[in-house]
Amino acid sequence: MEALRSLLLGFGVFLTPYNLMVAVVGIFVGAVVGVLPGLGVANGVAILIPMTFRMHANSAIILLAAIYWGGLFGGVITSILFNIPGEPWSVATTFDGYPMAKKGEAGKALTAAFCSHFVGAMFATLMLTFFAPLVAEFSLRFGPPEIFAVMMLTFSAMVGLVGRSPAKSVVSILFGLILAAVGLDIITGGLRLTFGAVELMGGFNFLVVVIGLFGIGEIFLTVEEGLKMQGVTAKMSMRTVITTMKEMPRFWRTLIRGALIGCWMGIKPGGATPASFMSYGFAKQLSKTPEEFGTGTMEGVVAPEVAAHAAGVSAMLPMITLGIPGSPTAAVMLGGLMIWGLQPGPMLFKEHPDFVWGLIASIWASNALGVLIVLCFVPLFVAILRAPFSVLMPGIVFLCAIGAYAVSNRMIDIWYMIIFGVVGYVFKKLDYPLAPMVLALVLGDLAESAMRQSLIMSQGSPWIFFTQPIAGVVNGLAILFFCWPAFKAIRGRLSKGKNLSGRDVRKVAPVDA
Amino acid sequence: MRKADAICALMFISLGILVCADSMRHGVFGWDLAGPSPGMYPFLLGLGVILGSVIVLGQTFLRSRGAQGDKPFIPPGALKPVLCVGIPSALMILLTQYIGLYLAAGLYLAVYMRWIGRHRWTAVLVVSILLPLAGYLLFEKWFQIPLPEGSLTARLQF
Repeated sequence: MEALRSLLLGFGVFLTPYNLMVAVVGIFVGAVVGVLPGLGVANGVAILIPMTFRMHANSAIILLAAIYWGGLFGGVITSILFNIPGEPWSVATTFDGYPMAKKGEAGKALTAAFCSHFVGAMFATLMLTFFAPLVAEFSLRFGPPEIFAVMMLTFSAMVGLVGRSPAKSVVSILFGLILAAVGLDIITGGLRLTFGAVELMGGFNFLVVVIGLFGIGEIFLTVEEGLKMQGVTAKMSMRTVITTMKEMPRFWRTLIRGALIGCWMGIKPGGATPASFMSYGFAKQLSKTPEEFGTGTMEGVVAPEVAAHAAGVSAMLPMITLGIPGSPTAAVMLGGLMIWGLQPGPMLFKEHPDFVWGLIASIWASNALGVLIVLCFVPLFVAILRAPFSVLMPGIVFLCAIGAYAVSNRMIDIWYMIIFGVVGYVFKKLDYPLAPMVLALVLGDLAESAMRQSLIMSQGSPWIFFTQPIAGVVNGLAILFFCWPAFKAIRGRLSKGKNLSGRDVRKVAPVDA
Repeated sequence: MRKADAICALMFISLGILVCADSMRHGVFGWDLAGPSPGMYPFLLGLGVILGSVIVLGQTFLRSRGAQGDKPFIPPGALKPVLCVGIPSALMILLTQYIGLYLAAGLYLAVYMRWIGRHRWTAVLVVSILLPLAGYLLFEKWFQIPLPEGSLTARLQF
């Protein structure tokens, strides 16, 4: 009941005309960002953070979260109508979404996908509402060793579960941590890794890096592949929407299963993509007509979408309770929190209940609003996609440059943006995962101070990370996750020849964004 | 692709060495008033990058012995469009330092639309004037975020 009362407080924060308007604008912008090639959700949020400097933190987080939801909705449109998964977790949606659209059932596929998003979001938000305060309460007991252990768990989950090449994931994470360490040392105030260059004294701002990696880098990739925008036209009518909605309850089993998978996987970093594939796989295996999957069956759209959106929402749980983001977009938002002067972590619930509960209430409401908005404006978003690329592309670069400059009004940041664009392009081509790098960049300073404070507590003995009960268990888990690829390789070698498990999720979609 | 992989790993190794060398200056295993000396943490990171990249390098060579086909790093014919995006963008940023972002972006839009997009002149003019103008009104006037001004045009108070 405590949670319900807090939720009411949250709705009190959210339900002002200004915040409602902010949410609607955010969803709209997010959907556009999700639709446009080369303008991912993480990048969109990063560009817009400087615009929130003058807003109240409550409204600012509502705006950014709404962009996130809008982006999740927008990605659906490209994957169903154009067979281009805007984000990696939409890949599974194209398996059945695009065939449906080609059969002339585009409206039905879109409605089914949006409704599944709604169900997934509601499920995950329910979990968030009742679970988040408990996790926060528990993690109030965390000291530096525990915080450091949780970060290790986050990073090793990225290595063990996400990357295709574990060694490259490790390098990517360490590269992010190194970038975060450039500049002033947070404890002694000494200059590190600046090599005498004044420009490096301020360090690298993660927003600039995100805009470069995900914005400019993505543009390079898009032009290299040569963009083919051959979409299927969607006819949306009130009748299709209503008849599709009436069909939705038939898939209650798939919906609940997918939502649970999404909630569970989403808490771990990089969980949305595997969640969507798992949900699709289960739906296919447990279906009475598995042969229909891939030819355009509605269940094949429902299953991945419900899981992806549930995972997207539940990625917020570790972010607001522990200060550990579950996805790059959440990482960017977490950075925003620090910029607005809030300390992420369990104390948020105690010190700024209006902020946390306003955010949770906005998740409920924004997702409901989001379904309505995207359903009404599908033709508009499609029109944006059909705009010629030679107009879109320079426009996006212009926007990225504004975003990078506005972070701290430094010209050098625009140069960094281009440089990280090239870095992102090369990394993506060589399979160095970008998501762990961004996470590491955002968490770098926190990880370092947690580690140094722990060592001060133990007077230099590294065993403190294993002798404290909570930290020990979490670190043990971290080591297990870290070694997971090795276990799997050994098991794979043992069972070679009788491998019937089908496609490897990570081969289809390296996790990013 | 294999060559690019190896070069990238070598670059990471040299970065790691650079980081370790810089950390040595601050002391790696020392202990001062504020706890472990500031060089320890970056030193460990640098060491990790070196180790990780050595593994990547090893894997690259192991793979190259078995497999025959290797995809090129950049598919044939793809270099030109990538450079067509990269070079004008870099030029725009260079210009921004002198004439400010709005003028530079307008020029950039116009050049890109005309020579690469092959749009009609009217379309080119409309977009390359309206988009920077919209940016000006939105950011400078509404959000009150100043955007880069050029050293040459700063005096015009534009």
